[in-house]
Amino acid sequence: MAVDRHQVETFLYREARLMDEHAYDEWLALWADDALYWVPCNEDDFDPERHVSIVYENKARLEDRITRLKSGAAYAQDPKSRLSRVVSNVEIEGENDHELMIHSTFNLTALRRGRIDILAGRATHKLRRSGDSFKIAFKKVLLINNDQVIHNLTFLI
Amino acid sequence: MKITRPAINYDELVKDDRVHGRVYTDPLIFEQELDKIFSRGWVYIGHASEIPHPGDFRVTDIGLQSVIMVRDDAGKVQLLMNRCTHRANAVCQIERGNAAIFRCAYHGWTFRNNGDLASVTYQDRYDASFRKEDNGLRKVPRMAIYRGFVFASLSPIGITLDEHLGPLAKEQIDLFVDLSPEGELDVTAGVHKYGYQANWKFQVENSMDGYHGNFVHQSFFENVRRRSGVNLTDMMTSQSAAQTRDLGNGHVMIDFRPYNKLKGARMGAAMPTSESGQAYREALIAKHGPERAQELLTARGTHLLVFPNLVLIGVQIRVIKPIKADETEVFLYPTFLKGAPHELNVTRLRGHEAFYGPAGGGATDDLEMFERNQIGLSARVDPWLILSRGRQQERPDEDGATAGQITDEVTQRGIWRQWKKVMSQAGVENSTRLERRRIGVERRAPQ
Repeated sequence: MAVDRHQVETFLYREARLMDEHAYDEWLALWADDALYWVPCNEDDFDPERHVSIVYENKARLEDRITRLKSGAAYAQDPKSRLSRVVSNVEIEGENDHELMIHSTFNLTALRRGRIDILAGRATHKLRRSGDSFKIAFKKVLLINNDQVIHNLTFLI
Repeated sequence: MKITRPAINYDELVKDDRVHGRVYTDPLIFEQELDKIFSRGWVYIGHASEIPHPGDFRVTDIGLQSVIMVRDDAGKVQLLMNRCTHRANAVCQIERGNAAIFRCAYHGWTFRNNGDLASVTYQDRYDASFRKEDNGLRKVPRMAIYRGFVFASLSPIGITLDEHLGPLAKEQIDLFVDLSPEGELDVTAGVHKYGYQANWKFQVENSMDGYHGNFVHQSFFENVRRRSGVNLTDMMTSQSAAQTRDLGNGHVMIDFRPYNKLKGARMGAAMPTSESGQAYREALIAKHGPERAQELLTARGTHLLVFPNLVLIGVQIRVIKPIKADETEVFLYPTFLKGAPHELNVTRLRGHEAFYGPAGGGATDDLEMFERNQIGLSARVDPWLILSRGRQQERPDEDGATAGQITDEVTQRGIWRQWKKVMSQAGVENSTRLERRRIGVERRAPQ
């Protein structure tokens, strides 16, 4: 099927809203079973078996992350961060929508205990067609501050 | 001009069984910590394996002072103050890289990677008394390396690193390093950097606190139990055989060996039973012999504070950086074991990431505790924090350490004893003129 830009953007916007709202289960449901979620540390690209990542998680690890956040004992999110993000500059790579690489930018403001943190960067999603929507097979988030001191990144990015 | 300040009586702030909240909040005390602890004593600043080749450098710091740790062209580790001797411009702008020279962009002076001043632009306008050999990048007065761990002291005088570490802390560092079948760490896997708005000593104490785990980290331990069936919580109850130990000089540890011996080795980065795990075990035996190999595999590294700023836990080197009385940065360097199977090193890395870093599932909750601590300290009707847990039962062990049960505050008391001792020493403002000159506080009089 031809690529429907509107459908891709709608998917990204929905994901952004679910992350902003800490809608953990709905966000987890967006991921494919063989998914990989990667937030590199210090540099934007490297061999993740030879360099530490901020997040490098398969679906099982992602489930653990969500289970913990929902447990009531994830203190770094008690109280929760208030989040507002803009996702934009969407570029679509791929001829048909069986599997697409989507590049986007984000700008995220996080407020917690009176402290405001701005996080910005680029994301790459590999989206796979699933019924009338998509599943995330791979997501890589390049934070512009991935080599800087970061205070709290326990919400979803 | 002598600046006089109200003297602080540290005996009144640190008692055997409690500590006054002011030690975490007072900017004057913080300033004295930078002077007495971070400018006079030994502090950890980096690992030699981070800069394996000539010209490799990493910018680091001693207290708040910027330092370049660099391997010079002759292969020697140098610690150079990151400051042009001309107009104090920082000569190095990036955190890590490789450089034959450091060139100050401001007026074009260049320095070799051993610190020597190589060239001065338009040198003809200096008179004959100006000598390049007097104006190289300033070196950190003292440097010493143990098992690749590079320590520095801004004071040209004082006890040696060997004396500072003592045999018990060195024994623990050895347990951490000797897990490598080549007896060497590889610290090239990058660094997690996180910060929190509270005093640096909360991270120091918490790193050696065996009492908090089952409460702060219950959500993490529950995931481990669900995934693997391993119950980590019985390691940290008041009935556990694990210990807290005070090794002297502020170095303290949690000793899991008694627990591991009882339970069989099953905590931490799991000992693989796979083919590569077997190969690893054989490599360890080949390097260290069967007895030492068994000792290493039982200990699984260490859980050690080297006072004041170095922590070895699990697979990581943790460096605690004081920024302000109520602001701290923590850098975590996961380590690889040279000569170990790749699969084992990857397992170490993935295990580290699950718990640590700014998005990790464990340490982030510790940071939250520190910020709640700092808020709590604003309430001063009763300004004291209690340090008495297990005080009556602590006892000397056969190695000469002071030991208690894992949930006891033996470690905290050891840290505070050393802190009080160091902070009670005369500060720079009370030191002799000669000593002030030697440590660079006072300039030589103009000729």
